[in-house]
Amino acid sequence: MKVDVEGTLKRIESYKGVIGTIVVNAEGIPIRSTLDNSTTVQYAGLLRHLAAMARSSVRDIDPQNDLTVLRIHSKKYEIMVAPENNYLLIVIQNPCE
Amino acid sequence: MFADESLESVGVESVWRSCQQGALQARSCQTDALHSDDAGVQTRFSASIFTQTEPQEQTTDLLRQHDPAEPDPPGLLDFLRRTEDLIIRELVKNTRSHAFDGFQADWADRSQRVSCLHRLQHPSAQEKDLHVSSVSWSCTGSVIVCAYGRTDDGDWTNEKSCVCLWNLDRQNLNPKQADLVLEVPTAVTSVCCHPNQPALIAGGLYNGEVLVWDTSRTQDPVLVQTGMPAEGHREPVYQVSWVPLQRKAEFGVLSSSSGGRVLLWTVDLDRTRLVLDSGYAFIRQQVPHSGRTSMKVRGSSTVGVTAVALSPWDPDTFLVGSEGGLLLRCSFSSRTPAAVPAEDRGVVLRAPAVFSFRPSSGPVHSIHCSPFHRNLFASAGTDGLVHIHSLLQADPVLSVRVSDSYLFQAQWSPSRPLVFAAATGHGPVQFFDLACRALRPAATIEDGAADRAATCLAFNHQNRRLVAVGKSDGSVGVWQLSSDLVDPGPTETAQLEQIANQVSD
Repeated sequence: MKVDVEGTLKRIESYKGVIGTIVVNAEGIPIRSTLDNSTTVQYAGLLRHLAAMARSSVRDIDPQNDLTVLRIHSKKYEIMVAPENNYLLIVIQNPCE
Repeated sequence: MFADESLESVGVESVWRSCQQGALQARSCQTDALHSDDAGVQTRFSASIFTQTEPQEQTTDLLRQHDPAEPDPPGLLDFLRRTEDLIIRELVKNTRSHAFDGFQADWADRSQRVSCLHRLQHPSAQEKDLHVSSVSWSCTGSVIVCAYGRTDDGDWTNEKSCVCLWNLDRQNLNPKQADLVLEVPTAVTSVCCHPNQPALIAGGLYNGEVLVWDTSRTQDPVLVQTGMPAEGHREPVYQVSWVPLQRKAEFGVLSSSSGGRVLLWTVDLDRTRLVLDSGYAFIRQQVPHSGRTSMKVRGSSTVGVTAVALSPWDPDTFLVGSEGGLLLRCSFSSRTPAAVPAEDRGVVLRAPAVFSFRPSSGPVHSIHCSPFHRNLFASAGTDGLVHIHSLLQADPVLSVRVSDSYLFQAQWSPSRPLVFAAATGHGPVQFFDLACRALRPAATIEDGAADRAATCLAFNHQNRRLVAVGKSDGSVGVWQLSSDLVDPGPTETAQLEQIANQVSD
């Protein structure tokens, strides 16, 4: 069972340009990460609120709609956040590489 | 005939007085009676609260370390299974997407123009007809240090010179009067500000001395100096820079002179002098030949060092340019002793040259390693060309013709990987952008009188839009660059990589 969690994360990491992956639990504490501690905590803290706000915006506009993936495209790389009630998966990718 | 007569007097009443008096009326007013009342208040209960900031928690406390023996939290696996496909689809789409190619968000006001913010002059230096020999920004980016000396004559002079500091962030900046003037007994050839401490400035003098000034001391700003020891420089010091020392977490001063010596000094505050830590000497016979040079040179066998550059990627490598046009890659940790006559020195001089690039036909005035690519560096000399070399091959990767006259300095831009600037002997400073195919400059800074050479330039690493240019008429111009010279595009690092990988024929 444990292999599957690691295997899944490794599969995601192996895609072209992926810089790092973070899994955050419901309390906002990162439980798996491939980046260093301070960066991980920063990403987890900031993106949790942003994903919650994005989700509530989508649902306010149309209550039958829901957020699937939040993508932030910045100058240097792209951040993808897949939110859920329990967990949050954050993937940082540099698409130009 | 005549009789006394008495007549009544005639009176004329004043009409003016009565009409001045005007109409009179009487009025009166009185304030109403004030209502006043008494009431009493008393607190029945009180509470007090204190707040205080606490030191930030260690971030490692928040991140639970992954303990292999600990079971995964429930639901983690299901969550990952659900989201894995979704994320992988998005990742693949990203690598193929062209949606944002060429799009740049306009967060800051983009300015299209290069404008001159300040023109700083020191009147007493201008009276003595001194040139600006070197400019340097402090590590905070707000103070500019200008050194005055001579760049044209090679004669010993007894003229006193100075180093002036201006703080550009102050409200009452006076371009004609420096905030701090440090008097120096001879001409200053080079200054360099400490990378971490804004008060320390290292300077090299024309008579071979190396000094460190501490501007936070009011009494005597000279913190340490070398004096004229036997093991020091005997010839003018052309360049000083701060290098991180490997053993301690401090910085030492590296000075190079035309006597063929590159010396590394450490700051010894107890004895208030600079102590020689290690030294390197360049002898022509010990310089590796790149195979193409077959010139037999008579005369002195020392190689006068005119330019030194440190590599920000590899702390062991440094690059040296000489008066004869040689361009060498050297190593701090070389063990070969130099073939100098064995004087009674405390420190054994070593020969650090490892590799020799293709020499140019005149003295190399400036070398600068690219902050964005570990193998690239730019060199400029008297032939009017900026050569972009790779550390891996002897011939330059690219040569750009900047002007017909001498080039005094070439520097890479700290924010855009493909932009470099060159200060020419005619006066203008040219900015080249390697992304454009055309070999014309992307921007030119021309300041006033023609034929006043631009002798030095320095980019500000904190405020990326500022560049300082020192000229031979003793003035320093602080210019603000346009946005397209400062903001990097998304693919510039890849383009730089492509340029570096070109192999020249």
